[in-house]
Amino acid sequence: MKKLTLFFNFYFLAKLHRMKPITKINRRRFLKTTGIGLAGLPLATNAITKITSGDKIRVAHIGTGNMGSSHIRWFSAFPDVETVALCDVDKLRLNDAKKLLQSRNPTANPDLYSDFRYIIDRKDIDVVTCATPDHWHALVAIMAFESGKDVYGEKPLSYSPREGQVMLGAMKHHNRIFQLGTQIHAGENYHRVAEIIQSGALGKINTVRLWKTGGTKGLGFPPNETPPEHLDWDMWLGPAPYSEYTPVKCHGTFRSFFDYSGGVFADFWCHIADIMYMSVSPENLTSIDARGEVPDDGIADTPKWIDVDFKFKDLDVFWTTKPPQVPNAENMHIGAHFEGEKGTLTCDYENRIIKIGNETFSDLPEVPKTLPRSPGHQRNFLDAVKSRNQPESNLEYARKMTLPMHLALISFRLKRKLSWDSTREEFKNDSAANFLLARKYRSPWKLPDY
Amino acid sequence: MKRILALAIVLAFSIGGFSQEHKQFISLFNGKDLTGWTMPGEVPGFEVIDGIMVAEPSNGSDIFTNEEFANYIFRFEYLLSEVGNSGVLIRCNHENPWETGVEVQLLAPWTPYRDDLHCTGSLYGHVAVTNRPDETTGIWHQMEIRCDRNLITVSVDGQVTTKANIDTVESMKNKHISGAIGFQSNHSKKGESARFRNISIRNLDLEPEYVKAGFFEEDARYRKPAHEAALKIGAPMIEPLAQLLSAKSPVAQSGAKQVLFDLVAESTAPDSSGTKKDAVAKSLEKSLRNCSEAVASQHLEWLLKMTKSEN
Repeated sequence: MKKLTLFFNFYFLAKLHRMKPITKINRRRFLKTTGIGLAGLPLATNAITKITSGDKIRVAHIGTGNMGSSHIRWFSAFPDVETVALCDVDKLRLNDAKKLLQSRNPTANPDLYSDFRYIIDRKDIDVVTCATPDHWHALVAIMAFESGKDVYGEKPLSYSPREGQVMLGAMKHHNRIFQLGTQIHAGENYHRVAEIIQSGALGKINTVRLWKTGGTKGLGFPPNETPPEHLDWDMWLGPAPYSEYTPVKCHGTFRSFFDYSGGVFADFWCHIADIMYMSVSPENLTSIDARGEVPDDGIADTPKWIDVDFKFKDLDVFWTTKPPQVPNAENMHIGAHFEGEKGTLTCDYENRIIKIGNETFSDLPEVPKTLPRSPGHQRNFLDAVKSRNQPESNLEYARKMTLPMHLALISFRLKRKLSWDSTREEFKNDSAANFLLARKYRSPWKLPDY
Repeated sequence: MKRILALAIVLAFSIGGFSQEHKQFISLFNGKDLTGWTMPGEVPGFEVIDGIMVAEPSNGSDIFTNEEFANYIFRFEYLLSEVGNSGVLIRCNHENPWETGVEVQLLAPWTPYRDDLHCTGSLYGHVAVTNRPDETTGIWHQMEIRCDRNLITVSVDGQVTTKANIDTVESMKNKHISGAIGFQSNHSKKGESARFRNISIRNLDLEPEYVKAGFFEEDARYRKPAHEAALKIGAPMIEPLAQLLSAKSPVAQSGAKQVLFDLVAESTAPDSSGTKKDAVAKSLEKSLRNCSEAVASQHLEWLLKMTKSEN
């Protein structure tokens, strides 16, 4: 109800003054300037200012494990960022996070929370970064958008395709900024690969092969345990189905379980599918055919290996767990191989090998640099927070890029080829597959409608 | 008179028990021809004479079931000629049966004398008999071979002769645990023979309770086939597996979760019959009604919704 009132206040204010709904950053400064509450708003709109270069962006980090620690390190290094709050459902991790932040910035004095809703409710926070397990990504982002915050969210974008749709709707509705944490996107190599492919030097690209070696390990058959005192297991589970606690389901290996993620495939898809989307923007996906196996040596249930054939308009895409049988691929643990009418390009995060006829190149100097380079993935996001123009790995782009991964996992689980209607975003003639596009949240959590 | 009465009672009970169990046995030999069997060699080693499967030609082909079996009780009667030599090949691939499977020996006991590791009832060369059977030739004997995951038990004329835990037999480490069943052709000299009749099998992998027990196996070698067998059984497996969702064993619990999903997935395929889907939905509903455990109920409810989802 409080949220609703807040929204209506914004709405009427915006309407009254024929302007875009004011952003939270503006409102915070406005409140500071005038020292009055929402009731007095219409009288003092002149005081609303845009964020200026001197302002600090107030950041809170939700989820402070492995990736969350990187978030703390990355963001605390920016002079225009003030890290004001940290949140983790594990108190040990939270304390470590505080120590980490203070080792970087001795004057930092972040507020510590084990429930992210305290951060959502705070009016003085501009940005949240989210490095929770996958099944929390969507709800944290949506609630942040609703409370007027911008989000730097870890990959994969969401747990289910439906969540991706709602995230996009919420972000647009609330005029927020979102960057997916695919930091490799910002590197020089991906920008250069995209330029070379888009230049047409390799001719029209008809096939892309993507791969990532390795898969889910079984993790054995550990007994269930009482969750440790320092961990709020129920909050960790959040919208996911209730489950007894065992350590391997939680920190570090949660991606091995379909209840929370989709294995190594879900983890790495967006890093390498990213270069395909940057370069050739595949459109109109029509079929997905996945094969693979789950481990037989433990409770983990995501793919030990997975191979997928995707059919897009004028483009075949193959995902494999082993490197494909193409030159130079065997030594890359992750990679993309583009096959064009005139040549091929094989790349990973840092390297690219171009083959035209019998000749091999690492670059084609005649292809001009046309794409603006990223100032760094997090900087790109912070600039977007200020400029209100979406960053490179924005939600619309990230959602499009993430979707085939989800669909492939549904094909893997159902063990059948699926036909996809990319306009309606649903499977053709397969109600069970469509059922798996969304998951009902465990009470009291609810995925809103947008 | 008392003795006769006692005998009659024992007989009545054993016949009663036998007939009930007997229902689960199916015949593998129709008594007329070799339908369901294959002889991969060039020269046929078997023919059907007067309702009996006879192995007489020397150097003839061994014979194998077309179907493969992993866990079963295999029963048949055999009669060896004076110095007859044959055998039963179990859990084998008929292209290299001795490498993939093992032979349960059928052999006349003389000329030359063979030890307990190579006599009738032994797992030839791997496991000796501990209770040597009646090896009289020229009369019919009954043999039963029970393959129960890692345990193989051989009985002759109702007496257990051989018990093997294959996990403890070094020479059997790489043997298959599923495959065809075969009879060796006449392995003796010309003019000798082996005869077989009343050949039947009880395939344990078709029985939900037996398959359910396999979900507790720590060794994936035995657990995985149980998962596959459960998928073949289909809807009748839903209730036993739903019970396993509340099992204390994480091995059984996680396996049941996976296979229940696979069963539902299969039943919802666009080309699957509506009857199959209905049977799965019905079993899920029944399991849900009988489920008192919250986590299991939550999972069953989700599966049921998936089964009933409509476009």
